[in-house]
Amino acid sequence: MTIRFLLNGREVACESAPDRRAVDLLREEFGLTGVKEGCGGGECGACAVLVDGSARLSCLMLAAQLAGRSVVTVEGLGTAEAPHPLQTAFAEHGAVQCGYCAPGMLMAAADLLARDPSPDREAIAGAVSGTLCRCGGYGKIVEAVERAAEAMRPGPVRKALRKKRGGA
Amino acid sequence: MSRVHAPRGLAELLALRADLPGAALMAGGTDLVPRSRARGGLPEDVILLQDVPELHGITSGKGLLRIGAAATHAALLADPRVGRGLPVLARALACLASPAIRNMGSIGGNICTASPAGDTLPPLHVLEARVELAGREGVRELSLAEFILGPGRTALGPGEVLCAVLVPRPEGFSLQHFEKVGLRGAMAIAVVSLAAMLRLDGRGRVAEARLAWGSAGPAVVRCPAAEAALLGRRPTLSALRAAARHARAAVRPIDDLRASAAYRREVAGNLLLRLADLSSR
Amino acid sequence: MPQEFSQIDRRHPRNDALPKALGLERFAADHYPEGLLWAGARRAGIPHARIRTVDVSAAAALPGVVRVLTRADVAGSNLQGIVHKDQPVLAGDKVRHCGDAVALVLAVDRETLARALSLVRLDLEPLPGVFDPAQALKKGAPLVHEGRRGGNVLVRASIRTGRGAAVLRECPVVVRGTFSTPMQAHAFIETENGTARLLPDGTLEMTVSTQAPFRDRFEIAQALGLDPMRIRVVAPYLGGGFGGKDGATVQCLLALAALHAGGRPVKMWWEREESMLAGYKRHAARLTYALGADRDGTLRALSCRIVMDSGAYAHLGGEVMALGMESAGGPYRIPHADIRGLCVYTNNPVAGAFRGFGAAQTAFAAERMMDRLAEKLGMDPLELRLRNALRRGDRNAAGVTMTASTGMAACLEALRAHPAYAAREAWKRAAPPHARRGAGVAAACIGVGYGRGLPDAATARIELTETGTFRIFNAVPDMGQGNASAFALIAAEALGQSPASFELVQPDTACCLPSGSSSAGRTTYTYGNALVRACGALRDRLLVRGAMALLADDTADLTLAPGAVRHVKSGRAVPLALLARMMILEDRTATAEFVMPVTPDATGGKGFVIGFPHLLFAYAAVLALSEVDELTGAVRVRRFVSATDGGRVLNPQGFEQQVAGALIQGMGWALSEDVLTREGRILNPDLSTYLVPTAADAPEVDCLAVDSVEETGPFGMKGIGEVNLNAALPSIGAAVQDACGARLDAAPLTPEKVLGARPRRARRTP
Ligand SMILES: Cc1cc2nc3c(=O)[nH]c(=O)nc-3n(C[C@H](O)[C@H](O)[C@H](O)COP(=O)(O)OP(=O)(O)OC[C@H]3O[C@@H](n4cnc5c(N)ncnc54)[C@H](O)[C@@H]3O)c2cc1C
Ligand code: FES
Ligand code: FES
Repeated sequence: MTIRFLLNGREVACESAPDRRAVDLLREEFGLTGVKEGCGGGECGACAVLVDGSARLSCLMLAAQLAGRSVVTVEGLGTAEAPHPLQTAFAEHGAVQCGYCAPGMLMAAADLLARDPSPDREAIAGAVSGTLCRCGGYGKIVEAVERAAEAMRPGPVRKALRKKRGGA
Repeated sequence: MSRVHAPRGLAELLALRADLPGAALMAGGTDLVPRSRARGGLPEDVILLQDVPELHGITSGKGLLRIGAAATHAALLADPRVGRGLPVLARALACLASPAIRNMGSIGGNICTASPAGDTLPPLHVLEARVELAGREGVRELSLAEFILGPGRTALGPGEVLCAVLVPRPEGFSLQHFEKVGLRGAMAIAVVSLAAMLRLDGRGRVAEARLAWGSAGPAVVRCPAAEAALLGRRPTLSALRAAARHARAAVRPIDDLRASAAYRREVAGNLLLRLADLSSR
Repeated sequence: MPQEFSQIDRRHPRNDALPKALGLERFAADHYPEGLLWAGARRAGIPHARIRTVDVSAAAALPGVVRVLTRADVAGSNLQGIVHKDQPVLAGDKVRHCGDAVALVLAVDRETLARALSLVRLDLEPLPGVFDPAQALKKGAPLVHEGRRGGNVLVRASIRTGRGAAVLRECPVVVRGTFSTPMQAHAFIETENGTARLLPDGTLEMTVSTQAPFRDRFEIAQALGLDPMRIRVVAPYLGGGFGGKDGATVQCLLALAALHAGGRPVKMWWEREESMLAGYKRHAARLTYALGADRDGTLRALSCRIVMDSGAYAHLGGEVMALGMESAGGPYRIPHADIRGLCVYTNNPVAGAFRGFGAAQTAFAAERMMDRLAEKLGMDPLELRLRNALRRGDRNAAGVTMTASTGMAACLEALRAHPAYAAREAWKRAAPPHARRGAGVAAACIGVGYGRGLPDAATARIELTETGTFRIFNAVPDMGQGNASAFALIAAEALGQSPASFELVQPDTACCLPSGSSSAGRTTYTYGNALVRACGALRDRLLVRGAMALLADDTADLTLAPGAVRHVKSGRAVPLALLARMMILEDRTATAEFVMPVTPDATGGKGFVIGFPHLLFAYAAVLALSEVDELTGAVRVRRFVSATDGGRVLNPQGFEQQVAGALIQGMGWALSEDVLTREGRILNPDLSTYLVPTAADAPEVDCLAVDSVEETGPFGMKGIGEVNLNAALPSIGAAVQDACGARLDAAPLTPEKVLGARPRRARRTP
């Protein structure tokens, strides 16, 4: 079947068996190998992508389920020229060791920050608790998400401006 | 290769269901897909529930919350009627699998999987929830105990779909608690779990107790004797210890990879003691 | 005089971090060459059997199947193995564990591959098996490998120092114990995989998730009867390794598949369950100890017997045991010891290298013995350790002299000085209802490098690029530990350049130079040392060429400044970009060797091949603060404080990653990780049954580095990737006992065991 969807902000279409795993479609047809596979069974979180804004596991999704949706992979979160604050924070604060879990971690974190711009450490740990990091880098991962959340929150100046505008 | 159907409404879904008796319904797929993979592939026909609007909503009726079967765990948690209104269920949802799986998996899928370790089941039992089933012939309602027959077995008829979960709004249950014992801090299947709701009278005595255990038998275990042991008493350690003895006698756990039956039995009782900390706060 | 550095000992983001966070770094698994075929192995599925027939006809007839290969298609020795070559690429006469490969299928896609694999018909005649070392050692036990002189004994080794265990009789205080540690799975998130292709000129080109690309070439060549120099192995960044990608995983199968693929590229990628089934594991061990001391706590004698389960093949069983035996007495002075070790074949999954390498197992026993001794003597556990801690010049129980940096005492002192140590009693008292809190201390050490018997060598290559930047040809895979970035830092320091001016080429046998494996805490040390030398040679070369350009007649007047060669007095400079254009590639390239020095101690002990003794050791002392739930027995580690002697810290960020990562991996082994088997079959083959720690389990970790310089290391460093892992289990064990009295000598410390092991008086729940 032909599957049309929005992929990292661009409309795409491809021919695919409807029951093909979404992770394979993204990696093999679209070359988005930032989407990782670590278990194929929902147990490691490495394959997470954002579907209509919420983190889902592409190893448990079928190609047909993507039709008409908006899908964002780690490649679409930010680019080399303009990395997402989460990506910058991961790199700067040592949240990347072997880095194989990083894309899944980033998707889980992006989902969290969209819902809760100022999570505490426990909320962050909970949000990434479905993504296994075998390098054991959880402390720095949580710290990086914290730092990214700070960077993404409107600063005092921006906050004041917004208030003013809202009041006017 | 499987055919994947995506009906856009309940009528279309029921028609498909009648035409394709062998088809698998797929809500979040978080049970179906891994299980099929282990068995060598998905069934020939898969019917997606994701685009059936009737299965997704959460509506409040007279003293009742009607939860669409395909509503995701995350959607339930985000809804204050569950998040705040049904703490016993919300606690279970909050520790079910992982955030991404909660974004995908549905309450209906959790019920239909009928796993002894299904995390929503003990809370739904103490909430005395009922399930609404729809088929070509019409709609029927069953209690959870009538619906879940054993591990992986339900009373879902051929051609039927689980439409909604009906949860009576609990009145006066000031103490609601869910605890899951797993082997790690997250992404852990229940070794044993307890859902508890206590209604206390003006003097802090138990007027009604509802207790249910998960992973402690082939289906959720209720224990009227333990509930009775608490009646008229404050939920103190000594009262709870007495209830725990009944609970240990009532559970029917098994030995498996995660723990022995003996451990489950002991802990099924122990978990009640936590209620003392909660009620003293 | 303290050295001044411009790059070393400062916090740097890793070179690989941003590309990985952007999803742009290509791991081996991310390669999908055009027109690829999928290769997969049919595995035995039963632990011990004679192979009657392997009928591939139905599989081969399936449309989309390109080839089905069996033992008969293997031209070489068919044997893989790092030291002992005993593991068939494709089993021909018998299978020795469930994961043995018996047929190899090439198909056009994964679905076809899966179907074809199920169509391979195996006629196997089951044989009685042996599933634990005790059973395997019995007289008349079934033999895993027939015709060996030692029967099921892979290696029997012993070390005797001083007057041996006889001295125990003279000791006023003796403690005894028997301990066991479980099989642990590496469970890296990127499972074993690679791609391969036979080029028209006969070269076999491979990209593999491997820790040892140079050794792989020889292993593949020997097993398949090929010319090693016609094999090229590329090793991109690994999605985790921890020892489990040291040695052949997919390599030989993949190469074999490529030889029969008609020139098409082939991809093999083990699924999680296959990785569990066929991948290597940490050796399960049983350790029987007796430790004797004087009344003042001075250690005098040790007797211990270590039995390790090698599974069906040798892998590095002997070497793992050697390392375990070397530190069997812990980081302490013990003048008299008898240390005996047995590594035994069984029909269990194959054990191999794993971070901590034998010393993790012995550390559990040694440290818990120290706790027992402290208890018996009424001494503080930390003080007892400090009193006996190895100092430079001391000998450990295995008779190895600590001739290099020896910071054990400094680690213990740093731990003692940490506020969390002083506050531990108050922390314990603040336990929430139904919880008990406890604190535990453990010390650990581990040899760095290959040890005697094998040269631990590396050859670094660095070049000035045509554009005036630098390119380092990293030859030891980066499995996540960050050695590649460390190399950029080392070179930046050595050449006085900014780290941003370095580009890293990842290991490729076609352009990097043989430098050994990524393992043994040697990766950064050995290659780093070679790189420092290569940088020196390159600097000298650039000064000479710069002198020409600047018309300076004495290179002593010149310095290598960032981006330029500068004449100090006149301030005139020639940019490296300009200089580079005047130099041919050979001129712009420098290479240098380094061979790790070895201990002057002769190869002691009996029965070792390689891997004993070591010159260098890393040390760590760890405090674990744990909470035990009285109702469930569940243990949560709330905090680790670690003080590590790893020489000088090159990059504090990398240091903390390694320390915390090792502790958390060790914590998993302590609490929940255990590869469960019944008659050789794995019962928990996936990540929802084999439980590694999640973010919700991870405690706070404080990573202290003691002031230490290893004179022989690059800028004073030595390897620290492993040592903390060894301290995790014993420190948690001690903390659990402190919390609730449960003394558990068999890891992991599951809730069920903890609940059951609390002494009677503690059991009455309040
Ligand atoms: C890694 C992992 C961890 C997990 N951890 C937990 C856990 O901690 N606790 C827990 O309880 N569960 C856990 N699960 C199981 C699963 O996520 C839940 O049971 C989830 O609620 C299933 O919902 P679903 O919508 O994904 O079900 P699906 O997979 O879509 O369906 C499950 C079954 O129910 C049937 N079904 C679904 N909807 C309907 C309907 N409306 N009418 C009739 N039949 C229907 C399907 O045909 C199928 O047989 C885990 C799963 C994974 C993969
Ligand atoms: S690959 Fe999807 S969760 Fe592991
Ligand atoms: S960084 Fe290696 S798995 Fe997380």
